[in-house]
Amino acid sequence: MDIVIRAVVMFVFVWFVTRVVGRRELSTLEPFDLILLIVLGDLIQQGVTQNDFSVTGAMLAGGTMALMTVLFSYLAFRFPRVQPILEGDPVILVERGETIDRNLRRNRITLEELAAQARMQQVAHIADIEWAVLETNGNISVIPKRS
Amino acid sequence: MADIPDQLTLNVSRDREGRRDVVVRRVGVAALGILLALGLLNLFGQRPSTTTAEGEAATLEVYAPERVRGGLFYEARFRIDARREVEEATLVLDPGWAEGITINTVEPGPIGEASRNGDLAFELGRIPAGQKHVFFLQLQVNPTNVGHRSQGVRLYDGDELLATIDRSITVFP
Repeated sequence: MDIVIRAVVMFVFVWFVTRVVGRRELSTLEPFDLILLIVLGDLIQQGVTQNDFSVTGAMLAGGTMALMTVLFSYLAFRFPRVQPILEGDPVILVERGETIDRNLRRNRITLEELAAQARMQQVAHIADIEWAVLETNGNISVIPKRS
Repeated sequence: MADIPDQLTLNVSRDREGRRDVVVRRVGVAALGILLALGLLNLFGQRPSTTTAEGEAATLEVYAPERVRGGLFYEARFRIDARREVEEATLVLDPGWAEGITINTVEPGPIGEASRNGDLAFELGRIPAGQKHVFFLQLQVNPTNVGHRSQGVRLYDGDELLATIDRSITVFP
């Protein structure tokens, strides 16, 4: 029973940490971020399974994590008001070529970062962006102006 | 001029009306910071502390953590300073010392071990006046052992009680 409770607690903790850290930080998988994620996974695993090396324990912990994922996904789908809490919601960063500085600042996104994201989507200038939206997964969608 | 993308609204997605995500995030970061600060302040163990009991015949000192976490290895050190000769020194520990805690080793090995009315009794033998006896327990917390337990320690000379220490341990998950 303990292992299921520990898995639920750690699932909620990881969700909390990812919501608090901010979506941009989690979507940019620089080498350092990648290593950090692996280390975090290892630390969490130890807290969940502790000295339990059994297949049953692994199935219980893995099953709990999977069910919690389904539960969070269902809650977000079934109750639209809960979705922004569980997953966040999209934030407009650029509107018709004009940056929305408040939203950039709140999400700790620099102009250089925004310009880099625009270039990756074949847009050379921020002024040529119709809409740039920070999505819930941390990616920035760029919709260029129609020429 | 392109319309706003589907499912987005200017008042929510641009102006963030009714959204307190930044405040919530800051509170969350502060909560994480507080958690770490409490950890640094030893709230969750396992920094050892010293507890001493002065008796007429001997002084008993226990050096062990009072807060630990599941799975941790730790040491408890018991020091007896004899003022007069203690012929049959016996340390009696509350069962909380072994409840959900694995005793990996005991050094130096006692002359005898027994249960004294449910408590753990370690017979240490004779301690001459002016000498000390140091006794170590190497322990590991079983992960399922969560909660608060009494870990009192009593020093006897045979059946005569020489010193008592009342302490407890809190095990965090």
